[in-house]
Amino acid sequence: MLRAGSSPGGRRSAPVLAWLLPTVVMAAAAAVAVSVVSSGARVGVGACGVVATLAVAAVAVEAVRRGRALAVLREQHGRLEAELRNQLAEQQTQTVRLAERLLPQAVARLQQGDFVEDVLRDADSHEGAVTAEFQAARQAVLRSVLEAVDAEEGLRESAQRAFVNIARRVQAIVHRQAQDLREMEDRHGNDPAVFDDLLRLDHGNALVGRLADSIAVLGGARPGRQWSRAVPLYSVLRGAVSRILDYQRVELHPVSEVAVIGSAVEPLIHALAELLDNATRYSPPQTRVHLTAVEVQTGIAIEIEDGGLSLSEEGRARAERMLKEAQAGIDLNDLGETPRLGLAVVGRLSQAYGFQVSLRPSAYGGVRAVLIVPQELITTAPATGRAHGIGASSGPRPAGSPAPVAGRSLAGQQTVTVGEDEAPMVSERTPNGLPQRRRRHAAPSAAESQAPALRAAVPNLPEPRVAAHRAAEYQAAEPTAARPADAPVQPGMWLAAFQGGVNGQASNGQAPAGQAPAGQAPNGQTAQPGQPPATASVGHNSDESSSGKGEQ
Amino acid sequence: MSGTDHEWDEGNPERLYVITRGRSGLAERTVLDLVTLIVSRSKPQPTMQPEHAAILRLCHSPLSVAEISAYLRLPMSVTTVLLADLLADKRVEARAPVPLAQLPDRALIEAVMHGLQKL
Repeated sequence: MLRAGSSPGGRRSAPVLAWLLPTVVMAAAAAVAVSVVSSGARVGVGACGVVATLAVAAVAVEAVRRGRALAVLREQHGRLEAELRNQLAEQQTQTVRLAERLLPQAVARLQQGDFVEDVLRDADSHEGAVTAEFQAARQAVLRSVLEAVDAEEGLRESAQRAFVNIARRVQAIVHRQAQDLREMEDRHGNDPAVFDDLLRLDHGNALVGRLADSIAVLGGARPGRQWSRAVPLYSVLRGAVSRILDYQRVELHPVSEVAVIGSAVEPLIHALAELLDNATRYSPPQTRVHLTAVEVQTGIAIEIEDGGLSLSEEGRARAERMLKEAQAGIDLNDLGETPRLGLAVVGRLSQAYGFQVSLRPSAYGGVRAVLIVPQELITTAPATGRAHGIGASSGPRPAGSPAPVAGRSLAGQQTVTVGEDEAPMVSERTPNGLPQRRRRHAAPSAAESQAPALRAAVPNLPEPRVAAHRAAEYQAAEPTAARPADAPVQPGMWLAAFQGGVNGQASNGQAPAGQAPAGQAPNGQTAQPGQPPATASVGHNSDESSSGKGEQ
Repeated sequence: MSGTDHEWDEGNPERLYVITRGRSGLAERTVLDLVTLIVSRSKPQPTMQPEHAAILRLCHSPLSVAEISAYLRLPMSVTTVLLADLLADKRVEARAPVPLAQLPDRALIEAVMHGLQKL
């Protein structure tokens, strides 16, 4: 009761009433009872009434006090609850933000090559109304996730590097093998049975090389070889054809006489080979695949048409999506158990070199793949790279133009075109009846003016070698140049030494010295009467000359 | 690796089997031999395979198969296949070589030899 009385004054009236009212009622009831009962019992009833009144007063005071305490507590509790609710909501938003924005952003940055620490520091700057513990825990989560991702990235990268490394080694072996095979093809060109086997080996070797190139490309490296000089488009197309399994089915149509700049040669060959491979693989074996190239506004459009099943709209969309995805970068793991590397490789190369690839239904009923080579990768300048040393450039040229025959560059030694020297004509006969070969004079000025340009374009071919080479070619072109002799006139004579050489070689395998060069001719060695083979092969590399000697 | 790369730079992207479309000249060898003389019968067409066109240009005047092979810098078998194609199209004509019996006497051969050695 004392404590109740000492409660704060401001809110006094209602609580006072609350405990006063039952007390007063009890006191009144006690007074009524005292007045009603007989005088004898009055003292007892009065005492009971006083006690009861006091008791009621005490209970009422206590009840009011507790009620007040309860209200205070409830108020405190409400505040606390609101606070906690706020905190919870804040944490929830923070967690959602972590999951939806922060983490993906951080992982993306990590994949772009940022360091874990940098990413973490930036993520830390977003302060919310959260406790330090929560903040710390969030950072810990972020850190462990980022570290895991980082480790994974590192692993992937090293795996790719390993892939590329292995692919490079395979490429090196394949390339060496290709060179060896080419030499063997030259050496055994006379024996069709061996030659046939060599061609098949060569083809198989090229297929292995393409696979290695594909792996290198998917590993993020450039495909195998590099070409410093421009290569005619026709050679590029044939190069692509030579790398697929069913190359006989590809019908190569004449293309315009342009060249592809060196840096784009290998990627273009590889991309085309993959497209051709798809075309031949997904069309019936008896159908042909057409390969053409036409000039368009933006460059050169190379078309590959097959007569296979038409690509459904859905299939086309899937293929183009694959190309796009590959452009964005692919994971080696995504390729699946039976990897379809082709389009992925094409996509990669297209992205790196600016090719545009599209797949459309073909008029033949199959698929028409069009690859557009941008203008900046095309050059119209006369290419110094020649197709197998055949007729100047491999591209078809107008009839009647001079026919410079380029040096075969198998061993990388001869790339100079020696125009008029190599087109011999037996046009006159000397007084003693020997036919005299005249060098072709059809367009000497053009050929002459071309030669220095070519020489300039092949910087790694020193001038003396060019001269020696030209001299050798000159002598080769006029092996039977006229010399006064007192022999009788006889047509066809000039073949005699040659034939003798052939026969001699055939009969005893050891040609007489004077006749040896003729026997060499079939090997691609330039025959030069009366000169030792070492001199004959001034312009060739030592390997070739030694192999020539071995042949004799 | 740079040394290797430089070496790789040279050469040609195309292989011989593409030029012959996979034929090795096994069947064609029966018709042609090293010394068969070839002369073209038509002008090279722009639509032809460049090697065929080159042969037609070379063979304005008769050339032996071996010589064509040397000028084209292609192995004999490849040349034979290409020539067989042209023969089938009647774009070139093959002439048998001069028979051995009609060859000139030894003195002439020696004269030629000496003449050549003086070159």
